[in-house]
Amino acid sequence: MSISKYRATLSRFQSSIALFVLCLALSILSDKFLTVDNGWNVLRQISVNVCISVGMTLVVLTAGIDLSVGSVLALSGAVAAGLLKNGIELPGNDLFIGFTLLGTIVAGLLTGGFLGFFNGAVITKFKVPPFVATLAMLTIARGLTMLWTKGYPISSLGPSFGYIGTGWFLGIPVLVWIAAVIIAVALVITNKTSLGRYIYAIGGNENASRLSGINIGKVKVIVYTISGVLAALGGIMVTSRLDSAQPNAGISYELDAIAAVVIGGTSLSGGRGTIMGTVLGAVIIGVLNNGLVLLDVSPFWQQVVKGFVILLAVIIDKANSKAE
Amino acid sequence: MKRLTIAVLILAILSGCSSSNGGKDSKKIAIVVSTLNNPWFVFLAETAAKKAKELGYESKIFDSQNNTALESDHFENAIASGYNAILFNPTDAAGSVSNVMKAKEAGVAVFCMDREVNSKDAATSQILSDSYSACIELGKLFVQSLNKKGKYVELLGIVSDNNTWNRSKGFHSVVDNYPDLKMVAQQSADFDRNKAMEVMESILQAHPDIDGVFCGNDAMAMGAYQALVAAGKAEKVKVMGFDGAEDAINSIKEGKLTATAMQFPKTIAELAATYADEYFKGKTDFPKKLPIPVEVVTSENIDKYIAYGKKE
Repeated sequence: MSISKYRATLSRFQSSIALFVLCLALSILSDKFLTVDNGWNVLRQISVNVCISVGMTLVVLTAGIDLSVGSVLALSGAVAAGLLKNGIELPGNDLFIGFTLLGTIVAGLLTGGFLGFFNGAVITKFKVPPFVATLAMLTIARGLTMLWTKGYPISSLGPSFGYIGTGWFLGIPVLVWIAAVIIAVALVITNKTSLGRYIYAIGGNENASRLSGINIGKVKVIVYTISGVLAALGGIMVTSRLDSAQPNAGISYELDAIAAVVIGGTSLSGGRGTIMGTVLGAVIIGVLNNGLVLLDVSPFWQQVVKGFVILLAVIIDKANSKAE
Repeated sequence: MKRLTIAVLILAILSGCSSSNGGKDSKKIAIVVSTLNNPWFVFLAETAAKKAKELGYESKIFDSQNNTALESDHFENAIASGYNAILFNPTDAAGSVSNVMKAKEAGVAVFCMDREVNSKDAATSQILSDSYSACIELGKLFVQSLNKKGKYVELLGIVSDNNTWNRSKGFHSVVDNYPDLKMVAQQSADFDRNKAMEVMESILQAHPDIDGVFCGNDAMAMGAYQALVAAGKAEKVKVMGFDGAEDAINSIKEGKLTATAMQFPKTIAELAATYADEYFKGKTDFPKKLPIPVEVVTSENIDKYIAYGKKE
């Protein structure tokens, strides 16, 4: 096998190899790591980040970024929890609107979808760089969350809402089912649809895509809307799991999502990357978080270690893309 | 021209937002809090604002977002826009001193709430809640409810926050005297319920046989408790928090959490506003430091308490 071919193979499997090495090391260091229970733990814990990261991958593939996911998650979760618990009371004529479980979930997802749509519209119509537009949304959505919750958690949402976060279905946690469905849908979109092809094309070369007749604005708006909806889904998952919508939920989740995308080998300049890579990236972060706690590594060192893992992943990725 | 239009627009928006009430002689009170990202501080700030309004003063809440530099900006703005007193919840005992001095030099009285600044005479008065000694009390209860032996876990708050370490040190000053009490894991969960649940799930894999969990705040205690419930161990493990938040109070009532420490943000905030009122009316001698005792809440005395305070 020639060196370049060898390198190409290595690059395709770099995340899998990294994950394998990590798991091997952890199972040697702790006999509690490789157990079924712990496996479910890790999968449950990463399910939210997987949903957000899948949306982030689509955005990054178009050479964009979505910094607002953590705040959108908090607002959508809080909207769902607030409507479920309190409904809407219209002042004046004693009008009260109650919400069913499904209604609150739809309202939460719509909230996220709308914020994502807003991001996309600002980016395409006003030519605001995605970094700036979504940074603004990070603040706006966090502020709206504080306004909606008045700064206090909304708790005790009941067992039927809690089923999403704590229930099991056919021997698998519901949270893991949701993440699996999202991954499957995203795989179909990126590999089998024209939308998927356009996403890669825009990230690869926006001008060429425009000249070849792709409606770039429309594709971008769709991508940011999807990212918003997936962040909202994450919000509903977290809220259900905790039986409580916390006003400070999701702070710095955007960084975990970007880390998963980057570790998974997606290029931040767009056009190159895969959903499965991101999923592996999210698993690596989840396994790392879990392993560092299992080994009772000091919280100070955990941050240092995580930073170096991200750095290492990007350096290897750079070396590989040059080799290609 | 474009810039001017934008400036005018911004001004118009801002003036629309701030509803200033007339009276030129009326005094104004600024409320500067370390963060609004935590319900405890939201309650502290809102109670102070409510009390100030009752006493007839206009007030405004400034959020320092746990950032001493931003706090400094708030002080400068408050001084420049003519506030006469500042009810102040500092971000950092040492770092906030210069901000308080700045206000003092400008003739603006500062009343510290909950947390102190390391200076004897910068603030007019400091109304303090002592996390350290409260955690000594919690530590004693912890030792007692575990019968002086067993394995336990500590969940720390944000590791760069000095409250995290005050609480942890107070707790350990008692518990570390008992050699049969072994801390098997000390991890940070950032004062966050979700993070606490995840960290606890992982810890339970490594140490399925723990007897107690000490958490730096109530949100983490709730998260740790949920992880214990999911693992079927909630009955056996004692969980303690800190703050006296609504969820924790309800949870102690239902026999879930073992204990929390009740600080009295309502008392602290109302007293601070009252002091400001008295100061405006000419009073000058205030206690430099007034500690508000923290009380340990358990299932035995839970009937006396509501979220963030006592039943009235």
